[in-house]
Amino acid sequence: MNVSVLAKFVPNPTGTPQLGPDNLLIRDAGDGALDPGDEYGLELALQLVEAGGGEVTVVSMGPEEALAGIQRGLAMGAHKGVLISDPALRGADALITARVLAAALGRQTADLMIAGVESTDGYTGTMPATIAELLGVASITAVRKLEPDGEGFRVERQTESGYDVLRAPSPALITVTAGATEPRYPSLKGIMAAKSKPVERLSAADLRVTDLMSTQTVSSVTDAPAKAGGEVVSGDDAVARIVDLLEEAKVI
Amino acid sequence: MGATWVYAEVTPEGLHPSALELLTKARSLGGDVAAVALGPGATATAAELGEHGAATVYASDDQVFVDQPGRPAAHTLKALIDQHAPALLLLPGTYEGRDVAGCLQALTGSTLMANATDVSGPDRARTEIFGGTKIVDVDLAGPEPKLVLVRPKSFPAEPSGGTATVVPLEAVVPPGPVATVIERHAEAASGPKLEEAIVVVAGGRGLGGPEPFAMLDELAAAIGGAAVGASRAAVDAGWVPYAYQVGQTGKTVKPEVYIAAGISGALQHVVGMKGAKRIVAINKDVDAPILKIADLGVVGDLFQIVPALTEEVRRRASS
Amino acid sequence: MSAVALAAILAIAVVVFVRRARVRVALLRAAPGAARTDEVGTRARRELVHVLGQRKLFQKALPGLMHAFIFWGFLVLFPTIVEATIAVVDRDGTLPLIGQAPWFLFLVDVFATLVAVGIAIAFYIRKVQRPDRFRGSHMEEADKILFAILGIVSTLLLWNATKIALGMTAHPGAEPVANALSTLFGPGQPTETLERVFVWAHILIVLGFLTYLPKSKHLHIITAIPNVYFAKNGPSGHLAKLKIDLEGSEEDIRFGVATAKDLSKKQLLDLFSCTECGRCQEVCPAWNTGKPLSPKLLIMDIRDAVAGLDPEGEIELQPPLVPNAVTDEVVWDCVTCGACMRECPVDIEHVDTIVDLRRNLVMAESRFPTEAGALLRGVEGPNENPWSQPASARTDWIGDIPVRVLDPGDPAPEYLFWVGCAGAFDDRAKKTTQSVARLLNAAGVDWAVFGGRERCTGDPARRMGHEYLFQMLAEQNVATFADAGITKVVATCAHCFNTLANEYPDYGATLEVVHHTELLSHLLAEQRLLTTPGTNGSVTYHDACYLGRHNGRYDAPRDVLESTGLTATEMERARERSFCCGAGGARMWMEEDIGTRINDTRFAEAAGTGADTLAVACPYCFVMLDDAAKAAGSDMRVADVATLLAEATLGDTAQPEAPGP
Repeated sequence: MNVSVLAKFVPNPTGTPQLGPDNLLIRDAGDGALDPGDEYGLELALQLVEAGGGEVTVVSMGPEEALAGIQRGLAMGAHKGVLISDPALRGADALITARVLAAALGRQTADLMIAGVESTDGYTGTMPATIAELLGVASITAVRKLEPDGEGFRVERQTESGYDVLRAPSPALITVTAGATEPRYPSLKGIMAAKSKPVERLSAADLRVTDLMSTQTVSSVTDAPAKAGGEVVSGDDAVARIVDLLEEAKVI
Repeated sequence: MGATWVYAEVTPEGLHPSALELLTKARSLGGDVAAVALGPGATATAAELGEHGAATVYASDDQVFVDQPGRPAAHTLKALIDQHAPALLLLPGTYEGRDVAGCLQALTGSTLMANATDVSGPDRARTEIFGGTKIVDVDLAGPEPKLVLVRPKSFPAEPSGGTATVVPLEAVVPPGPVATVIERHAEAASGPKLEEAIVVVAGGRGLGGPEPFAMLDELAAAIGGAAVGASRAAVDAGWVPYAYQVGQTGKTVKPEVYIAAGISGALQHVVGMKGAKRIVAINKDVDAPILKIADLGVVGDLFQIVPALTEEVRRRASS
Repeated sequence: MSAVALAAILAIAVVVFVRRARVRVALLRAAPGAARTDEVGTRARRELVHVLGQRKLFQKALPGLMHAFIFWGFLVLFPTIVEATIAVVDRDGTLPLIGQAPWFLFLVDVFATLVAVGIAIAFYIRKVQRPDRFRGSHMEEADKILFAILGIVSTLLLWNATKIALGMTAHPGAEPVANALSTLFGPGQPTETLERVFVWAHILIVLGFLTYLPKSKHLHIITAIPNVYFAKNGPSGHLAKLKIDLEGSEEDIRFGVATAKDLSKKQLLDLFSCTECGRCQEVCPAWNTGKPLSPKLLIMDIRDAVAGLDPEGEIELQPPLVPNAVTDEVVWDCVTCGACMRECPVDIEHVDTIVDLRRNLVMAESRFPTEAGALLRGVEGPNENPWSQPASARTDWIGDIPVRVLDPGDPAPEYLFWVGCAGAFDDRAKKTTQSVARLLNAAGVDWAVFGGRERCTGDPARRMGHEYLFQMLAEQNVATFADAGITKVVATCAHCFNTLANEYPDYGATLEVVHHTELLSHLLAEQRLLTTPGTNGSVTYHDACYLGRHNGRYDAPRDVLESTGLTATEMERARERSFCCGAGGARMWMEEDIGTRINDTRFAEAAGTGADTLAVACPYCFVMLDDAAKAAGSDMRVADVATLLAEATLGDTAQPEAPGP
């Protein structure tokens, strides 16, 4: 079974993100890493291929530095990588990115395509569904468990009240929840082996994606009203204050 | 301006509250307001949708919408959009909403903005970044309808009175491979996984034993979409299993809200939860380190505060 | 006739010995690694003290005496083997010069008796006292050896006795014991035959012993000599550098020890020198808290897997040592405290072997306790510290204390205060950092910190076996030190201290590194810090493994505590015998699932002294023992030596003074 894994290179997940003058996120080379959310899917892919044979391909779109994210995937055990790096794609919105990634995935012959539920920096969580539709394949999001099942897959999908079991024919595109697997730590041997694994480089033109007009522009960025952070209360109104916070956070 | 449509999510328990929130917002934008409700029980929701501002409710009770997540809803919407050309479509930022919106974007080729906290028109929406410290206004361009996924509970739900005209629909089931639901499981007891939960309620040494964790279970249930976690001290003491452990040798969680009860806040715990958007700490020790990193620190007796909190949450949720 | 028989037997014995020894020698030859040849003087001295002087054996009084008797006896009695060989052929022949000298006869007599006494003590210990350290050892093999030695000296004494009875000795009085025994024998027969019997028996037992040696643990009598010689000079906390160049080919890189053929010459010598005495097992914190790791059993298990292998053929086909000879659990249980190495009479380096096993598990196989992954990701990730905290937060502890933070290009201070990751990010350790800062200011020391430019020293990554990660951090930090022109460093963390002082020089650092307790002690001695007398209360000090046992620093913290006026009580396991807090060997980031917790055990010992305060000198010890105090619901206060000094010097509300010139 061949598996393609979508991997995003994100700025330091624990650092302080910055916006550049064009209101786009500064993706600092030295400080970025493979999105931790994508590692769960990568681990699932590696486990499936270890059990049933086949290859894992890591596909990523980003600046040249995104190669480091692909190399991490290769170090973990993936067999090859695809990097779509094109200055014309800087600032690409979700739809353009989806078209590019769909075109790149379309060139592979994968039985299964995996992405994380949402990226650490963008957390839109919609792109995989868009890609699946563009490719015309079955799609299931929020997967917490997957098994090959004949010509397709048997999948457990996290829902708000528990989980559903679904069946999808191959090829399918899934997104994997955090904690669905325990991503392996790449060994030094893996890191060394990664250097000689093939990484194909593509541009937007190679993928015949020509409509690159972004449809979203940031018109302003303002500071949110400073959270009364770090306040300590005691006494009778404490409970009310907590519930206010919960409401403010929109969790109740 | 063109019409604003709302995707009303229909669940087995009835209408998802987000539908009413989104309709309330849609009304404020001016223009016609319509709702699309798909799935068993959809037609029955039309009355409530109408009361919240939908002039028209496009509905289909077809079972296919629950059997095949995402695609049939998106294709059905697309057919409607082709027919009626709304300017803006608001969807809830739920699992289902994201699936439908993502798929729909591929069909309409229009822009999709996620995690919106406010919408001011068919071409302007607002979101927050960097842990809620910055507010970003975004201009939406490109073909109509603009698609906006709105974070649940961004708006209050206020009825306006009114009735809706129900327009029955045929489900549009696209050809090609689809995923089909074959079983449904409700895990009332366990709820969401610790790493995925929007709210985490965690207990530490201050709980003093395993029984008080039931108190935290109740709070989590009252809040909904919450998971219960623990500090290493509670796990070491054998009060809860290791799967509950949050911290450097346990899980790392990034919920919207992390409520720490009876947890001192030693570094090895903090590293597992400092990514939470908001931290509430309840501790009887005013010097506990966790109070320094909490957004809201409460000095007091957790055995009083937690049950009172659970009650207040229930009270506000039902009102 | 006798000569021919003797020659034949000798020849057979030698051939058997050589054939049996050959495999071991071949293994040693084939093993990687070069012999350590630095500081020959130190090595020779150690040989004298540890081997000749039996110093480490005397760490236990009675067993030490037992072994010294046998060992010294063996040395003194060696010539008597030659004498017996001569006498087998020529009844009246003796050693030239000394053979009939009274002093020689006396020495032989006394030492032969002492050996017998030693054997008696050995049996007493093994059969009556039955110490737990022998659990897992091959007792029957030991018994055989002890009986054989007893046989050697008793045949010698009896032979001497018969010679006296037959009037063959000039000075019977010079041999009190043999003389006494001679009363059992009359002149003439059967004594004459018995004399032949005893001398032949003596030779046969000795030769039999010789052939038994190569495949038994008694081979230590040969291997211990080079093993002690080739032991590590310098502090035991210093792990050997393993240069890893990722650009090179995979075959050139040694990822630690995976299979038998990866064991170095010293590691093999270690295996062949182990006598299964169990002194290491007795002091191991893991074993003592119910975990399966025993340093003795680890060495024995690897030895058993390796010892008989043919270095040309079989060794290539061997499965990995972990989990086939020792389990993963055992390898990860180790806290690298070095108590085992401190006890070992033949200077086996257990910790180095365990770390080498970890190196393979981590770097080649990526197989380690899952929770330790957070440590590796943190240290390797963009923030380069075990807790994944942002580098900018390294100065959060400062508050309003006057502190100079060095920017690139700033003039170097006299002392660079290396705060360390724990000292910067952990709430409890931050108190220590603040106390030290205040004290340095009060004493007018010229000091500064690197702030956000500090990176983890790499110690936890290295002890965990990720040598490559350590190497990257070491190279980076060494460059930071060099660029800033730093010459002296003071550190509060015992692990940082050990790594900076002992291991960073391997990466080019030229630093004089002191522990904060040493600097504070020095400042007190120079009266740059003055304590306010009248502090009440009692304190017990926990020796940090990486400050104490690994680096021999026991007195400075005690001197500092004395100056505070607190009354000191010592725990039974103090100084070199200190019992680890449980955080070393990167175990700070791992769960303890089996047995009781090491930190709880140590804390109970501290609480048992009845002291009010438990003083520590390392942030890991601080965290572990403070956690244990809380778990025990104890009132005992856990505090760093520096904080206690600050309270005695500056009081709680003292104004911080401006930093020195």
